[in-house]
Amino acid sequence: MRATTAFDFATRRRWAVPLWLLAPTLLVMAYAFVAPLLTFFEYSFYRFRRGRLEQVFTLDTYSRFLFDEYYHVIIYDTLRMATLVTVLSLLIGYPLAYALYRINRPSIQRWLGLLIFSPILVSVVVRSYGWIVLLSDQGPVNWLLLRLGIVAEPVTLVFNLLGVVISLTHVFLPFVVFPIFSSLTRLDPELKEAAEDLGAGWWTTFRRVTFPLSLPGAVAGAQICFTLALGAFVTPAMLGGGRVLVLPLQVYNATAEINWPVAAVGGMTLLIISMVAVAGFNRLLKYSEVR
Amino acid sequence: MDPDVEFVGVTKAFGDFVAVDDISFAVAKGSFFSLLGPSGCGKSTTLRMTSGFEHPDRGALRIAGEDMAGVPPYRRPTNMVFQRWALFPHMTAAQNVAFGLEVERLPRRDIRERVGKALELVGLGELAQRKPSQLSGGQMQRVALARALVKRPKVLLLDEPLGALDLKLRTQMQLELKRIQREVGTTFIYVTHDQGEAMTMSDRIAVMNKGRIEQIDTPQAIYDRPATRFVAGFIGNTNIAPVTIEAVSDGEARVRCGGLAFVAAGAAGVSAGPGHLALRYERIRLGAASAHLPVTHEATVRDVIFAGSVVQYVLFLEQGPLELIAEQPHEGGAALLVRGERVAIGWDAVAPRLFQDG
Repeated sequence: MRATTAFDFATRRRWAVPLWLLAPTLLVMAYAFVAPLLTFFEYSFYRFRRGRLEQVFTLDTYSRFLFDEYYHVIIYDTLRMATLVTVLSLLIGYPLAYALYRINRPSIQRWLGLLIFSPILVSVVVRSYGWIVLLSDQGPVNWLLLRLGIVAEPVTLVFNLLGVVISLTHVFLPFVVFPIFSSLTRLDPELKEAAEDLGAGWWTTFRRVTFPLSLPGAVAGAQICFTLALGAFVTPAMLGGGRVLVLPLQVYNATAEINWPVAAVGGMTLLIISMVAVAGFNRLLKYSEVR
Repeated sequence: MDPDVEFVGVTKAFGDFVAVDDISFAVAKGSFFSLLGPSGCGKSTTLRMTSGFEHPDRGALRIAGEDMAGVPPYRRPTNMVFQRWALFPHMTAAQNVAFGLEVERLPRRDIRERVGKALELVGLGELAQRKPSQLSGGQMQRVALARALVKRPKVLLLDEPLGALDLKLRTQMQLELKRIQREVGTTFIYVTHDQGEAMTMSDRIAVMNKGRIEQIDTPQAIYDRPATRFVAGFIGNTNIAPVTIEAVSDGEARVRCGGLAFVAAGAAGVSAGPGHLALRYERIRLGAASAHLPVTHEATVRDVIFAGSVVQYVLFLEQGPLELIAEQPHEGGAALLVRGERVAIGWDAVAPRLFQDG
C-alpha cells in the first residue's frame, strides 16, 4: 500500500510542474482560440440573405466553398501565392544561408544576419509602400530595366500577384535563411573533410553531403514561410491593388459586409489548409532527417 | 626499403604556435608506422599534412616519391580514418563505403563487389544496410576503416581511431587492425597518445614532443634504449631522478644522488655534470633477488599498490633522500611487503639510463 502511495505522489509531482507552467498558455488558448473557433463554427451554419444574418441552420455556405467556381479561384490563388513565395524564398534563401555559413567570420556574420533580419524590423505598411514606389511603372526597378534595354516597355510589377510575391518573399526570407543556416552550422566539419579525403571535390561534397544534411533546415524554413504566406493580409491588400483576392482578404471583405457565414467558412478553410500543409511538411521533415 | 612517405625538414605553425618544428622521417612501404606523443605534440598536424588538410610552411613532403606541394586532399593517394569516424549519417554502411568509389565513377558492378569485400574484411557483411545511428562505436569504427581501405590507398592514415572505444574493444581492435594491415599490405600511419597501442601494432614508432621527433625506432628499441629523458619518461613506467654524474669511463659512469653513490653502465654519450637517471619500475629487484646485483641499497616501503598481476611498491631511500617505485610480478598466494617494512633493493648496472642536462 505504501509503495503505491509513494508512486502516486511521484507521478503527481512529475505532472504538477509542467501543468502549472502550461496553465496560463492553456487558459489563453481556450479563451482566445478555442472559444472563438467554436463561435465561428456555429456562425458558419447560419444563413446570410439580402444583407442580413438569419439564425437558420443551413449548409449553404459550405456547399458554395466546395462547388462554386468563384471560391475555387480564391483558394487556388491563395495556394499559388503561398507556393510561389515559398519556392522563391528557398531559391534566394538557400544560397544566402550557405554564403553566410561559408563566410566563417563571426563579426561579418553578425552584420549580415542583421541585414537579412531587417525586413522584419520595418512595419508592414511602410515596407509595402516602399515596394509600391520601387516597383511602379515609373519606379527605379523599371527605370533600370528600361535603361539596360532588357525590356522596351515598363513591366507591371505591382498591383498584381508578382508584386505581392516579391514583397512577401522579402519579408519571409529570414524565416528561411536562419533555419537553413543553423542546420548548416550544426554539420560536423569532419564530414566535409571525409568527403574530400575520399576524392570528392567541392561540388560533389556539397551535392552528396552538405545539401542532404541541411534539408531539415530547408523544410522547416519552407513550413514557416508557407503558413505565414497563407495568412498574409496587409501585403496582398496593398500590393495586390484589389486584383489579388486571397482567402484572408475574402474573409476581411465578408466581415465588412457582416457576412459572418462566409467569413467563418473562409477562416475555417484557411485553418484546414494550414493544418494539411503543416502535416505535409512534418512528413517531409521526417524523411529529410537522418534517423 | 622504399619509403612511401617522406617528410624533409617540415615546419608548420598556427600563428605563434609552432605545431611541427623541422621534422624529417621516412615511412617504409607496407609498414605500420606510429606517431606517438602527448596531446599538442604535433602528431595530428603531421597526419593532416600528409592527408592534405594542412600545408607545411617549410620543407617537403613526398608520397610514393611524388612531391605533394599544392596537391589537394582529393587527389592524394592517401585515405584517412577519422578520430570520431566522420561517417555520413544519411547513408547506410554500404553507401558510406561506396561513396569514394562512386566519386571515382567506377562501374556499378565493380563498386558493389569491392564494397562487399571491404565490409567482409572488417567483418561487417550483415550490417551493410544499417545507418550509422544503428551501429555501435566498434562497428562504426570498422565502417570508417572499410570506407578508407576500399579506395586502395597507398597510405592509410589513422587519427586515434580507437580513442572513443572502451578498453576491451580497443584491445581487440588493435589486434584486428594489425591483421588487416598485414592482409592488405598497405602502409599505415597511426597517430596515438597511447603507448600501449603504438607498441602493440607498430613496426616503427616516432615519439614526438613539442613539435619535434625525439626518437624513431622499433617498439623494443624505444623501450629498451630511450634516446632522451622525455622518451624514457613517456614510454613505460619510469623513475626519473636528478643525479650528478661524477666521472665517465668506458661507458660506465659513477653517479651520485644525494647520499647515494653507484655505478651505471648505460652512459654512452654523457660526460660529467648534472643529469637525470631513468630507471624502469620493473628493473628494481627486492629482497633476496637483489642480493647478487651490483647496485644494492636499503629502503623503506612507503606504500603498496596492488594491481592484480603486478604489485607496485613506493620505496624510500633515506641516504638520498630518494623515492623510487618498484614493480614486481605477483604470483598467486605470495605474501606482500607491508608499509613501513625495511627491504633490500638492487638493480643491474645496465638497468638505469643516464641523460645529460641541458
